[in-house]
Amino acid sequence: MRKYLIILLTLSMMLPLVAQTITCSGSTTVLPIAQATAEAFMDKYPQINISVRGGGSGVGIAALQNGTVDIANSSRKIKSKEISAARARGIDPRGYAVANDGIVMIVHASNKLKELSSQQIRDIYTGKIKNWSQLGGENLPIVIISRDVASGTFEVFNEKALKNAKVDASAQMLASNNAVVSTVTNTPGAIGYAGLGYVNNDVKVLVVDGVMPSVTTVQEGSYPFSRKLYMYTNGKANGNIAGYIGFIQGPQGQKIVEDNGFIRLD
Amino acid sequence: MKKHYALICLILLLAVLANAQSTKLSGEFWSRWTMEQSRNAATGDDEILKNYLALERGYLGLETVLSDDVKARFTIDLFSSDAVADGAGIKLKYAYVDFANLLPVADMNFTAGLQKVYFGSIYDWDYSLIGKAPADEYKLANSADYGLSINGYLPSGLGSYALGIYNGEGYKKFGSALKDNTNFAYSGNLRLTPLPGLSLGASLLMNSVEREHLLSDDSINSKYQEQMLADAMIKAVFGPVDVMVEYLYKDIKHSQTLEAEDYSASGIMIFPTLNLSRFIGYDVQVLGRYDIWDESERSDSSKYKLQAITGGINYNFMHDEQGTSKMNLQLNLTNKSYNEDDSATPYADGAKDQLQIMAQLKWRFSNTIN
Repeated sequence: MRKYLIILLTLSMMLPLVAQTITCSGSTTVLPIAQATAEAFMDKYPQINISVRGGGSGVGIAALQNGTVDIANSSRKIKSKEISAARARGIDPRGYAVANDGIVMIVHASNKLKELSSQQIRDIYTGKIKNWSQLGGENLPIVIISRDVASGTFEVFNEKALKNAKVDASAQMLASNNAVVSTVTNTPGAIGYAGLGYVNNDVKVLVVDGVMPSVTTVQEGSYPFSRKLYMYTNGKANGNIAGYIGFIQGPQGQKIVEDNGFIRLD
Repeated sequence: MKKHYALICLILLLAVLANAQSTKLSGEFWSRWTMEQSRNAATGDDEILKNYLALERGYLGLETVLSDDVKARFTIDLFSSDAVADGAGIKLKYAYVDFANLLPVADMNFTAGLQKVYFGSIYDWDYSLIGKAPADEYKLANSADYGLSINGYLPSGLGSYALGIYNGEGYKKFGSALKDNTNFAYSGNLRLTPLPGLSLGASLLMNSVEREHLLSDDSINSKYQEQMLADAMIKAVFGPVDVMVEYLYKDIKHSQTLEAEDYSASGIMIFPTLNLSRFIGYDVQVLGRYDIWDESERSDSSKYKLQAITGGINYNFMHDEQGTSKMNLQLNLTNKSYNEDDSATPYADGAKDQLQIMAQLKWRFSNTIN
């Protein structure tokens, strides 16, 4: 009996040395935050392995419902329908905000326009307004710059600005925030959008619905194209999962959030 | 004429696709082997009377998002049948439009068209066993019907509800088989998830069969029925084990002079599942099902009391990034026996008892095409 107790004790002492894996998938917007923070967390705790995948918020939440991931990354709040389906399967989704995000409207530096309404932005991107003169600007055709449909930034813009209307066929769909900023910088009639952290002084930032995008207006949610980014777990996060999420919400994780072009929680 | 219909359908489909924000094409098919041992009426011996392979059923569907608030769904039901000349049949299963935000209630949809009838566990049933949900199996309710409904979700994921008005004739009847029924069917369904892993449900459906008590010559319509159908269910998930228990009840009333034929029937199903994936690393389920359905109060030769026991094993594979399997290999063994004392003569001495083995490969796909 004593022999078995010694073996059991030895095995239990070795448990912390065994590599533990945290799996997370979901939003492509949250993906760079998850990847960068996972790397930093694994550097700090080498015995923990974190596997990060994209796929979109809906995919991550469905995977959490199916019990195939520990964390669902989501660029939107979980829906009642998704919570209900999860609870029926014995999964209790709990959300943790990890960052703030704001989508900023930008135009060429020479553009005299200072402000647009959400409706005007929708009309531009759906092709109803084609010339800046229709908005009191110069007689110059509007060049629509957008992110590709697979990007999380497009997902937010599509939901918050376009209300899921179809982007005009003339739009240039670019693969990154940097590409959008660069194209708008070099194209006089261009309008584009990018994460707040990517915008520089070479482009002009527009006020939307009377609110200038800033760290403060995004953090307080008064800027119309702002949102929180979430990680969802099954029940209250504990163990290494709680450790990882706490790390992202802490000073080191929030620094990484800022470095990746997003806005810290506080 | 058929060519014209096909052309009209194609034009409508292309028009819908052109205006849709996105369109999802999905399909699900069942390839099945069935072997059945039961009593040979001619010899009186228990024999293998069925042993065949077939593509029993398939669904092909289009789901289009027409705007932020409007979604349309179109699904056809394909099936093998030797009752039709080509050996296969096709029926419209769903063709409805969902309107969100039509009413000022959060998470509520208004649905119009040929749609799901939320009764009992029909739409909780994910066919982890090959057989149908009890309400479908014992023909209490049609799984789809033409109608109008409101359905939605309770706040904080506490459950869902559905209220509907339907034709009451289902989706399979057409032409002369569609009864001259001017009465609608009314249904209500509630699902609650008060705790993670615990679901409670109840459904009620009021329906009628045939049009009036009296026929046009004022004689009694013997086929007229008023039906009151009720269902209660509970499902609990404890780690790798989940158990569903469902109780069903139907009350049938006939025309006034045929009150002696009124009856009620009830049944219960107990359905446990053990998920082995966390123990063996493969998505394997072991399942059992016990059914009792008592229709012995009937006065005619159709009365019976059935006991059915099913055991099954599933291997689910080809999982997508959501963790949902695209293919399922299923094996089921079912024993059905009829209680001699409570069943009519045709069921006596085990004449309709049955032992059935089914093996099935089920596969599904889903792609967003624009």
